[in-house]
Amino acid sequence: MANDTMAIQRAWTWAIPAREEDWDALYAEQLPRIYNFFRFRVGDGPVAEDLTSVTFEKAWSARHRYRRDLAAFNTWLFTIARNVAVDHYRQQRRHVSLEQAAEVPAETTPEDLAELHSDLEHLARRLAVLPERERELLSLKYGAGLTNRAIARLTGLGESNVGTILHRTIAGLRAGWKQGA
Amino acid sequence: MEDRFLNELRRDPDPRFARELRARLRAQESKPPERTRRLGGALAGVLAATLVAAAFALPSVRASAQAMLDLFRVRKFAAVPFDEARAEKLHQLGSDNALMVFDRHETVLDPGAPQVVASVEAAAAAAGFQAGRPGYLPGGLTADTVRVQGAGEARLSVSEARLRALLDALDLRDVQVPAGLDGKVIEVRKPPVVIQQFRNTGRLRATVVQSKSPELAVPAGLDVERLAEIGLRVLGLDPAEAGRLARATDWRSTLLVPVPINASTFRQVTVHGEQGLLITTRGRDADGDRRREGSLVLWSEGDRVFAVLGNLADKDLLQMAESVR
Repeated sequence: MANDTMAIQRAWTWAIPAREEDWDALYAEQLPRIYNFFRFRVGDGPVAEDLTSVTFEKAWSARHRYRRDLAAFNTWLFTIARNVAVDHYRQQRRHVSLEQAAEVPAETTPEDLAELHSDLEHLARRLAVLPERERELLSLKYGAGLTNRAIARLTGLGESNVGTILHRTIAGLRAGWKQGA
Repeated sequence: MEDRFLNELRRDPDPRFARELRARLRAQESKPPERTRRLGGALAGVLAATLVAAAFALPSVRASAQAMLDLFRVRKFAAVPFDEARAEKLHQLGSDNALMVFDRHETVLDPGAPQVVASVEAAAAAAGFQAGRPGYLPGGLTADTVRVQGAGEARLSVSEARLRALLDALDLRDVQVPAGLDGKVIEVRKPPVVIQQFRNTGRLRATVVQSKSPELAVPAGLDVERLAEIGLRVLGLDPAEAGRLARATDWRSTLLVPVPINASTFRQVTVHGEQGLLITTRGRDADGDRRREGSLVLWSEGDRVFAVLGNLADKDLLQMAESVR
């Protein structure tokens, strides 16, 4: 539905009750993006699913505060997802350092073990030693499939800066990948 | 390792996980919004943004002898374009409550959550006016639900300091705030609203919304044109354009509707012989980001205002609007 029917939301929201969103459509559209954002952040397995669930539950419970006139739904949702990721890492740091996390998979479930040698697991190990900013940009770009401009808007970085950081990070990953493969 | 390889690492979530999470979210969708949030956010908060950032003045500067108030009512709609960067800035300010330029707000009458009713007739009886319904339903649309929201009324007290803080936050240093604004009380009255929703078996959705004109009452003598100009500057218009538009607009009959220009287009249309406004959102905005496609038409007839919105072709939406009787 028009993101900017919403114009009315600014000028007339008080006069007209919030229109019901097509939540089925929003969910179908955004679930894979959020889920893959977290897969790139924490790897495959239940943690990515848990963080995806937390993000959607927070968004749905706060859905009446979403201002359609001011931001696209996915921008709003990814703002929540980023905060969920920050909270997750904050909790993780209490138990294990980032360096240790790079050495040892945090969650060793049967699914993780089965995928230990998968490309994503390989990538996850390399991502784990990247600085937080680079890791997040890669997750937003390749996990969530966002454009550089959308990432810039979410993170507050300049669009060209986003492109430069991603380019540099991928080059570094590529070099490490060849050595470690 | 290539860029493409990274893209190909994406996977769909497990269908069982997707189903179970959707079921949990559905349970939340059926819950009504929290009452306190409705009052604070949906009414007072949006009022703040509405009054300051959008259309400081609704129509009709008409002195009311009894109340010593100027009364404003919606008679027609006009679009004012604004860009995404300003929208995002306002969004940030909204999160910090900086758009709230009122230091006191009192909910006189809580409209409550919209209630589902059995029929348009029942909605009309509850709302107290003869509700129209569309005779033309394109794309296999059928009536889905009818809801009514009750009347609402709020009083807000303007804070000059907060307004100045908002202007500072937007770096609008040249804007002069009219003297004597502080503490002025604005009353907002929202009549009952009837909402009819339509859907087909696929993804088509449409909604018809109608009510009597909302009213805004401000203290007599308030410089409405000046306040409107400030509102337009807040929306991002340059000083010359804001001044020109503030002077050219007939505030007695016009509600300005801000339209983000990177994602939407708008044009004047005619519905039932009345001037209306059609806003259309494309599937992708100027940045290439996905937007939900759809259109909205607004118009006013007599003492009532109407909106028809949906993810229909403009032609169908207008025909649907035209068929509301």
